[in-house]
Amino acid sequence: MGRMTRVLCVLFLVAWELNAWNQEPDANVNSRYSVESIHISGYHSSRISESLRSQIDKLIGEKLDSAALSRLASRLRDELHARNVTYKVQRGTIPDHVAVEFEAERTKNEFDLDVHNFAYNSQIGLSGEGDATLRVDGNSFMFGLVDNGNDLVERFAGIKARVERQNVGTNRLGLSFEFDSYHTQWNPTTLSSLETTGTLAGGTGNIAGIYRTRQNFQPVATLILAPGLTLGAGVSFERFQMQFPAARYESANTVVNTLRYHRRWDESDVYQQVLDAGYSLRAATKAFSTDYVYTRHEWDARYAFTHEHSTLVAGFLAGVIDGRAPLFERFVLGNSTTLRGWNMFDVDPLGGDRVVHGSLEYRYRLLDVFYDTGAVWSHGTSPDRKQSVGAGFRKDCFLLAIAFPLKDGRVEPVLIAGMNF
Amino acid sequence: MPKPTRWWLIASFLAGFAFAMWAEELIIHWKENSLHLSAPKLHFLEGKPLERLKNGDSVPYDFQLTLWVGSRENVFERSAERFVFSYDVWEEKFSVTRARAPRRSISHLTAAGAESWCLDNLQVAITGVGGQQPLWVRLEIRSEEPREQPPILGDPGISLTSLIEIFSRPAHGAQPHWTLDAGPVRLDDIKRSSSRGS
Repeated sequence: MGRMTRVLCVLFLVAWELNAWNQEPDANVNSRYSVESIHISGYHSSRISESLRSQIDKLIGEKLDSAALSRLASRLRDELHARNVTYKVQRGTIPDHVAVEFEAERTKNEFDLDVHNFAYNSQIGLSGEGDATLRVDGNSFMFGLVDNGNDLVERFAGIKARVERQNVGTNRLGLSFEFDSYHTQWNPTTLSSLETTGTLAGGTGNIAGIYRTRQNFQPVATLILAPGLTLGAGVSFERFQMQFPAARYESANTVVNTLRYHRRWDESDVYQQVLDAGYSLRAATKAFSTDYVYTRHEWDARYAFTHEHSTLVAGFLAGVIDGRAPLFERFVLGNSTTLRGWNMFDVDPLGGDRVVHGSLEYRYRLLDVFYDTGAVWSHGTSPDRKQSVGAGFRKDCFLLAIAFPLKDGRVEPVLIAGMNF
Repeated sequence: MPKPTRWWLIASFLAGFAFAMWAEELIIHWKENSLHLSAPKLHFLEGKPLERLKNGDSVPYDFQLTLWVGSRENVFERSAERFVFSYDVWEEKFSVTRARAPRRSISHLTAAGAESWCLDNLQVAITGVGGQQPLWVRLEIRSEEPREQPPILGDPGISLTSLIEIFSRPAHGAQPHWTLDAGPVRLDDIKRSSSRGS
């Protein structure tokens, strides 16, 4: 045996010993058993993210690792907002296998103050929503303040209150009752357009008139159909005080249905995909003693693909209203989330009953560039597609961006800043 | 016929005797240059820690042995150990691992056997202690709760300094802990397992 071979053999043996010395066995005697199954009690598994689910699945078939189970318990506690998560190891059904059961203890009392979203758009102004939530024994009581000029053709400001229970007999079923009360303000461009159409003078076309206040009561049941797939079903009783031709109350009572799907794939530490998609239907029929009869369909989807520091986001929105719907139901484009750079009152000051919108966004670290395109129009007219581009900085939920409408003539950039929109 | 007060005295004496017989007792042995302990009536595998063990978790117990010589003013010697217990869900037997180097493990034990093994592995040095000097010994045991645990058996295990720090803090209300005292006793009166200083 040559000298080099002997040196290599000695080095190998030293490395082997060092490796064995470093790999201290788990102090838990059950670490010699393989994990047969892992169950989570106290919460429905659909509330667990795909990434965590994947981590849990990876442990099945492996030797019991107490440290990994403790890390999982900690992640479950964070993700489920549980008071505590513990685990039990029991005999499995196969010899030398064990079954692991995580027990999540629900938080009994919890109080949260939260600013849901906040946005500044140099053409629309400020919009924001904040709330306080108290959770007691599985029930949550929410009270919020809203001032929103971003999402509807009107600016609405007021209060919202909601009582919600996420577990009604089963973890799959939740129930909520929401009450909203808002005062509205109208943009002069909207008012002048309504005047042109004769609506302010009491016209009876397909476009409804303006209102001073509106109140909404909305009980909704939410059912988890499958992991990531939820169905919401309820009714909305909306009453509003009309301004013209004389002050009076009208109502729009609708059946509300929403179907939402959320899925996240974490194929590795560097690739991540998230899909959010939904469909909502609001249907007002004479059976609910409503002053308006209409159906409103809306589809939306958002797909994000992340690779290391790069993220590509594609978004889609489409909607149709049939019948005569109140102004708050009409679609708008040209705010802080759609056709960024356009002013919604330049695009369509009354909103439309048809909408299609798509966006592409690319993010690299803090840098964010986007392209939006879409059209909002009314039945019987032809759509006028508009486009915009923008760039800015995004850090987690915060965005600061400048957006430009792509059009001929003078272009005014729009500053957009805020969080969670 | 004895007066009623005498009956009270006899009853109190019997109650005290019964309590003394029942009380957890710390027995000291002298082996080579150190003192060893046994406490056959002490059972610390109980309550919440035992529940965690039966649920397949591992539970560390910290032990501290303190020796006073001459008076209780000054600590003469102190030693500490951490033992990690686990319970085999298939064989229904206990396993114990000493966390400090050199690591030692034992398995297939009953609860009493596991408790006894820990005490067998505890000792405090008595080099320099005179045979006629009075001495006192205190054994303290604490079970660590899940949120407080430092890495149980990280390389190179738990340090003596960390263990002393643990015992320098008072046990909080919910933390399971046990304290046993013995003394005053003279070294010459303690049962020897082998010749001193050999």
